[in-house]
Amino acid sequence: MKVITNDQINCDKALGPLYQVYDPEIGLNVVDLGLIYQIDFLDDENGVEATMTLTTQFCPMGESIRNNVARSLSNTFAGFRITVNLVFNPPWNAARISERGRQFLNR
Amino acid sequence: MINAPSNTGLQQTTSYKVVLPFYIYAAISFLTACILLLLNTRAMHQHYFLPQTLAITHIMALGWGTMIILGASHQLLPAMIDGKLSSNTMAYLSFGFAAVGIPILATGFYLFQTGWLLQAGALLVNAAMVCYLVNVVSSIYETKKTDVHAVFIATAALWLFATTFFGLLLVFNFTRAWLPRNSVDYLSLHAHMGITGWFLLLVLGVASRLIPMFLISKYSSRKRLWWIYALINLGLLVFILLKLFVKPGLVFYVPVLLIGAALAGFADYCRRAYKVRLRKQVDEQLTLSLLSVALLLLPVLCLLVTMAFMSKNQQAHIVVLYGFCIFFGWITAMILGMTFKTLPFIVWNKVYHDRAAKGKTPAPKELFSEKLFRQMKVFYLSGFGLFITGLVFLNDILLISGAAALVLAALSYAGNVARIILHKPVSL
Repeated sequence: MKVITNDQINCDKALGPLYQVYDPEIGLNVVDLGLIYQIDFLDDENGVEATMTLTTQFCPMGESIRNNVARSLSNTFAGFRITVNLVFNPPWNAARISERGRQFLNR
Repeated sequence: MINAPSNTGLQQTTSYKVVLPFYIYAAISFLTACILLLLNTRAMHQHYFLPQTLAITHIMALGWGTMIILGASHQLLPAMIDGKLSSNTMAYLSFGFAAVGIPILATGFYLFQTGWLLQAGALLVNAAMVCYLVNVVSSIYETKKTDVHAVFIATAALWLFATTFFGLLLVFNFTRAWLPRNSVDYLSLHAHMGITGWFLLLVLGVASRLIPMFLISKYSSRKRLWWIYALINLGLLVFILLKLFVKPGLVFYVPVLLIGAALAGFADYCRRAYKVRLRKQVDEQLTLSLLSVALLLLPVLCLLVTMAFMSKNQQAHIVVLYGFCIFFGWITAMILGMTFKTLPFIVWNKVYHDRAAKGKTPAPKELFSEKLFRQMKVFYLSGFGLFITGLVFLNDILLISGAAALVLAALSYAGNVARIILHKPVSL
């Protein structure tokens, strides 16, 4: 569930609140689920650009999850321009789930 | 400031306004059918071609099974075809025609008024199915890519129309005999076009996508699904040709074997998906739907017993059991489970879409009562078990207590559906 970034300190700051953003069907947060691919910080534009995916392209809650991620980043980085890109290539796979996430699913 | 990317790659979902009426209508139909079953248990002792039995069967097939599947398929179609529903208006029309036509048709059967009442009901139901078929086909036509799941849905929609159109012919054949044989002789053809062509094909097409999704299983096999698709359609076509042109004999086992092979293939598909699932704890809703796959064995068993060991006089009794196992067993178990895997999400999206991340919101599964769901499951399984035992031994006490338990299951179901639909936003 490695998240690619150009600014590790701010990325960690972003990820903290993202642990509170859940996939409502699975009940696991988007970070442990490995949905967040990349978070970049654009100094010149004062912006945050996140790239994420979903467990399936057919997820009925997809739009809602994406909005939650965007709002979480917006709360953390007030005044920044927030962009959340949703991609399905590479597709999400189980290897992206964190150890804590696996324990949750194995309960 | 949040930028909305122009293309998120997400499926466009169908509006809840299109989908919810189908769910509400289905819940009312299920309750109505169970009450009628309780009031007419004596009819189960007789031949299946009886007004009450025909009315209950059509309420279950159209008002319950078809209406909820139409609702769910309007919601799921965009995901299956990687596009969007072609027309909401056609979906509303489909609902409107069916919602008026089904009670007229059922009343026509119940009173056995074979004239204008039955004909009007059948015409309205056909109008509904034409709207649905046109909507499905044009949605698929407008999209860029179509996969095996969409082909299942489109073919099922074609079979649905074929079934209702053939039903319309049978209804008109009551008053003016213009088909070569009487309508009763064609009933099994009409029934199996609906059961196999519509219900089975659509359920397998949708379930083959939903079950791995809910289990978080990466298992997928398009090749296997294409085989299942081919076997079901071939089996049904062979059955129709045999029924029309060949006298009963051993050759009638051929379609049973073809469709049986498809069912075995699908059961194995589910087993493989289950085996590699990431989500170890399977919730009760999905368990009930998976149980419905196993419940498919009962009608297949009835069919084989009927074909192998029974005289034509004895067959009528087993046919009632066969139909009951299909409509109150397989289809009902699947719907009772899947309703609570789809409806809460539709309503959650409606209620919390704009409120998400403004505060913690309930999870979709918190929109219904788990306790009421468990209660429904107990009533349903005991009611189903008692009723089929009552059918086997033609025992009135078992039939009445089974039907009473099914009424309680339908009440619990309707209560939980109402609870979801009437959900008001709460912040946790």
